Amino acid sequence: MRLLRGGQVCCPSSGRFGPADVLLDGDRIAAVGSFDAPPDAEVIDCAGAVIAPGFVDLASELGDPGEPWREGLEHGSHVAAAGGFTTVVISPRTVPPLDEPSRVADIISRARQAPAARVLVAGALTVDLKGEALAEMGMLVEAGCEALGDGGESIADLQVLRRSLEYAAKMPVPVFLRPGVPVLEERGTMHEGLVSTRIGLRGIPAAAEEIGVAQVVALVARTRSPVHLTHVTTARAIRQVAAAVAEGLPVTASIPARHLLLTDGYLETSGYDTAGRLLPPLRSEADRAAACQAVSEGILMVGADHVPWTQVEKELEFSYARCGAVGLESAFSAALTALGELKTVVEAMSVRPAAVLGREARVAAGRVADLVVLDPEVTAEVSATRRSRGVNEPLAGRALRGAVRACVVGGEVVA
Amino acid sequence: MKRKDMLGLRGLSREEIVEVLDTAKNFRQVFSRRVKKVPTLRGRTVVMAFFENSTRTKTSFSLAAKRLSADTLSFSASTSATRKGETLMDTARNLDAMQPDAIVIRHPATGAAHLLARHFPWAVINAGDGINEHPSQALLDMLTMRDHLGTLEGKRVAIVGDVYHSRVARSNIYGLKTMGAEVVVAGPGTMCPDSMADLGVEVRHTIDDVVEDSDVVMMLRVQRERLGRAMMPSVREYARYYGLDMARLERARPEVLVMHPGPINRGVEMTPEVADGPRSVIMEQVTNGVAVRMALMFLLLGGSTGAGGGER
Repeated sequence: MRLLRGGQVCCPSSGRFGPADVLLDGDRIAAVGSFDAPPDAEVIDCAGAVIAPGFVDLASELGDPGEPWREGLEHGSHVAAAGGFTTVVISPRTVPPLDEPSRVADIISRARQAPAARVLVAGALTVDLKGEALAEMGMLVEAGCEALGDGGESIADLQVLRRSLEYAAKMPVPVFLRPGVPVLEERGTMHEGLVSTRIGLRGIPAAAEEIGVAQVVALVARTRSPVHLTHVTTARAIRQVAAAVAEGLPVTASIPARHLLLTDGYLETSGYDTAGRLLPPLRSEADRAAACQAVSEGILMVGADHVPWTQVEKELEFSYARCGAVGLESAFSAALTALGELKTVVEAMSVRPAAVLGREARVAAGRVADLVVLDPEVTAEVSATRRSRGVNEPLAGRALRGAVRACVVGGEVVA
Repeated sequence: MKRKDMLGLRGLSREEIVEVLDTAKNFRQVFSRRVKKVPTLRGRTVVMAFFENSTRTKTSFSLAAKRLSADTLSFSASTSATRKGETLMDTARNLDAMQPDAIVIRHPATGAAHLLARHFPWAVINAGDGINEHPSQALLDMLTMRDHLGTLEGKRVAIVGDVYHSRVARSNIYGLKTMGAEVVVAGPGTMCPDSMADLGVEVRHTIDDVVEDSDVVMMLRVQRERLGRAMMPSVREYARYYGLDMARLERARPEVLVMHPGPINRGVEMTPEVADGPRSVIMEQVTNGVAVRMALMFLLLGGSTGAGGGER
């Protein structure tokens, strides 16, 4: 048995906030509160720290299979745990993509053996993530996929989008989509606005994401298929999500944590740092502020959007570099720094993303012991020496509030 | 000049611009001599790295380096290892191993010059990066304007064409604003969106709105080979609303300067009578190009006045 002693519990699901010890027995939580702990329990000192349900990420890439140098499944599991994530869903955007049941079975069997954070696998919605033909969703789910989606790719063909939502609606797993319009994004490399005009980069209009959200919402209204939008980043797109939620449609949405802190101005101040080449791109200050507000109001949840790349893909001219940044290790401190309130962060990073997967993140007796121990008052620089193999961290060098002290998965301390 | 590199006119001070223009003016005197060469950069190596087609800019930089007695080495994307898949950074590491003093780079991607400037010790001169900046072009334009107008302060400069996607326009806007000139831009909505006003310029949508009260009319090249999809209905329609012909020129101020960064699409941006007419200073721009590029290399590499240059 293990005893997390002397900390504060932050559990929005049970409404428990305040000093409490947590006793673990095997992979479960045995007791929460004040109790007489068995004398032989291994004590983990949590003085000054906060114990919360572990973070859940719905859309990260680990480059596995196909590009193990980017992260790899086993290594990525440790990276996730280092960032306080107890569960990550990996995107089907691999090489080749996770669109083939037999191939998926292999990665799932490895994922089930992941050494630290739990790794779940999202299968493709369309063949080769091309948005043209439906993937064998039934067999992908049967093989063990816990979500369906096309990773960072947006489906351009609206008939295919409609049919894939209708088909996937009968599956027992959630559907993840990145809202966007590929033809409006194709030549752009950053958010279109004052900064893109000033620094001479072709822009991606916010309309690409906003039209993408509008399309999905209209189709969900028709198909009633639950959809999670993995990247909602503009003020207008957020308003559309809020309206859909208010209407009672089964739509949820998340934003990458870094988008709560950084704006398009980063590309000017950093001199075209390719770590800031992202899709969706870093947005305007007005969008950023609207996003923070939306997270606080429960409209958006917060993801890591972990897309590691090495020098090979990032030490290039800005428009030639691949899109994406690492995020698993900085997401918590980015979110806490931007949002200020720990309870908001735990709701946005643990409770609501777990609910998308049909799970409940709760620190209570009898529950699986997937927990994170946080130091919310520590300020630390996002270090250049991270565990991730990705070099692309646009938050590097920034002093952010909050640190992960330990991560517990299935009762084991994995970070 | 206390800079290592010349990446763009955004952020350059008025004093720095004046220093370049004054130095260029002095170098121009060399051109009328029988021996058009000074020993200033003797023993220094300048690499011309052109990853995009260019005849006039490359020729101009090469001649400028030669007139300063620098050794030049030139390669273009079609003859270099980039065709074999080598990255820009790898190419640059190899160049670095040969100890160059400066590199002049033209590249289709915005920020390519900045990438090299950040990683290597030698001077980087941006000869055009994507749609971002083309600083030596704007400096030669400003030198030409100053020759005729005496000063740039308070002068009104019209830039007509695909302003949004033009590195020439962007550099001119930054330089001219810093020098106290007014800039007005004109073009169709696809090439000259109202958001250009964020850069502190006036935005108009036909040439007739800008030609009458400007001291300078700068026509941008229509890069037919590089236009994106659906940027304009036809060349004919473009010429009708944005082309400069004699009838429009007659409504301009009598002393107006007509400029173009070249090469001209005659009959599109302007008619031949305008291009070759008395208000055109296009050939002076070419001459000043060599002088400005000598000034840039001299100021970045030489630093001190007088022959010899010296160590950085």
